[in-house]
Amino acid sequence: MSHSTEIDSKTAWGGGESPFRISYGKMMMWFFLISDALTFGGLLVSYGFIRHKYADVWPKAENVFTHFPFVDKHLPLAYVGLMTFILIMSSVTMVLAVEAGHRNDKRKVIVWMFWTIVGGATFVGSQAWEWYHFIHGTAEGALRHVWDMETGKYVEKVVYGANMVVNEYGVPQFANYFFFITGFHGFHVFSGVIINLVIFLNVINNTYERRGHYEMVEKVGLYWHFVDLVWVFVFTFFYLL
Amino acid sequence: MSEFHDNYPSYEHMAHHSEEEGKVTRKKLWRVFWYMLAITIFELIIGSLAPGNGWSGTLWLKLLFIGLTILKAGFIVMSFMHLGHEVKFFKMVVLIPYIVFMSYGIFIILDEGVYSAEEINRTKVDPILIQQQEKLRAGHGHHEAAPAEQGAEHNKEAHH
Repeated sequence: MSHSTEIDSKTAWGGGESPFRISYGKMMMWFFLISDALTFGGLLVSYGFIRHKYADVWPKAENVFTHFPFVDKHLPLAYVGLMTFILIMSSVTMVLAVEAGHRNDKRKVIVWMFWTIVGGATFVGSQAWEWYHFIHGTAEGALRHVWDMETGKYVEKVVYGANMVVNEYGVPQFANYFFFITGFHGFHVFSGVIINLVIFLNVINNTYERRGHYEMVEKVGLYWHFVDLVWVFVFTFFYLL
Repeated sequence: MSEFHDNYPSYEHMAHHSEEEGKVTRKKLWRVFWYMLAITIFELIIGSLAPGNGWSGTLWLKLLFIGLTILKAGFIVMSFMHLGHEVKFFKMVVLIPYIVFMSYGIFIILDEGVYSAEEINRTKVDPILIQQQEKLRAGHGHHEAAPAEQGAEHNKEAHH
């Protein structure tokens, strides 16, 4: 493929073509993704800092995320494993859509983009389900000191689930970071699904057929893989370690 | 070709490939998928075996997880995002600033963060939670809920 040729000063810097052998749109998508990756990197580094600080009272993920839909059993990390599989799978269908675009195979682009959107929507739904159970908590709850507005004192009370103030499973900081980072990632997935949907409709309406190439599919693909990439790190730092 | 690209330059159109090239590409992509799936399943097996074992939470286990994560990230960036096939100069433009900034961020948080866990630098942790955690660590490894009897009724009333 011609875009893998190395550059040299005679041909590339004379003007008239990109020294990177890459279009403006794709390059800018990469630069946006670098800045977005720095944001997520900063969030995860700060998460690591707080986690280290409260290491003795930090909850273990396998004690928190134990539910699985339609199964009334204690299955630690099984559902998040499935979610990870779904997101990796949707990344594969995306890259297959991009590959079909390189062959101007409109039908295949439609098929693979459809499955990507289905995978993305399933992931967002699973995320919501996971949040629901985390917020809802266990039947037993846990005893905590809770601020009582009326008396202006801390009183002992059983709390259920987690919110920004109290957390049944451990320090509230765990819930704060969980909501913020998975929420920020979930919002990225959500916007990715929307953008994918727009491109999907464009493909159906022959927009790229007329343009002669499916580069837009490639650009949105870059964003979608980035979302998968971030999840790989979130999965490790929140659930595995 | 114009020097000012309002339109897509010609190398764009060279990004097309033939049916045979497509077959080879697809085979490679699926292979990367199987690698990533194998790594994820391996991580989950290790992750579910870890509690109750002596090596749970050890440094080598953490480093193994982080290493496998970076390996997966490499697969995604280099293969799925196609960065491995871009020109070398562009690879450097993307990777070097990111690696430099993140290395610095991790370094500074490890270097300056050593004081953070000292009691004086922490916000006060609920003493009940500390007791629960100590009991958890002394006893079996499962999440043990606090005694709920006296509090459950109280809590329901508070909600109304």
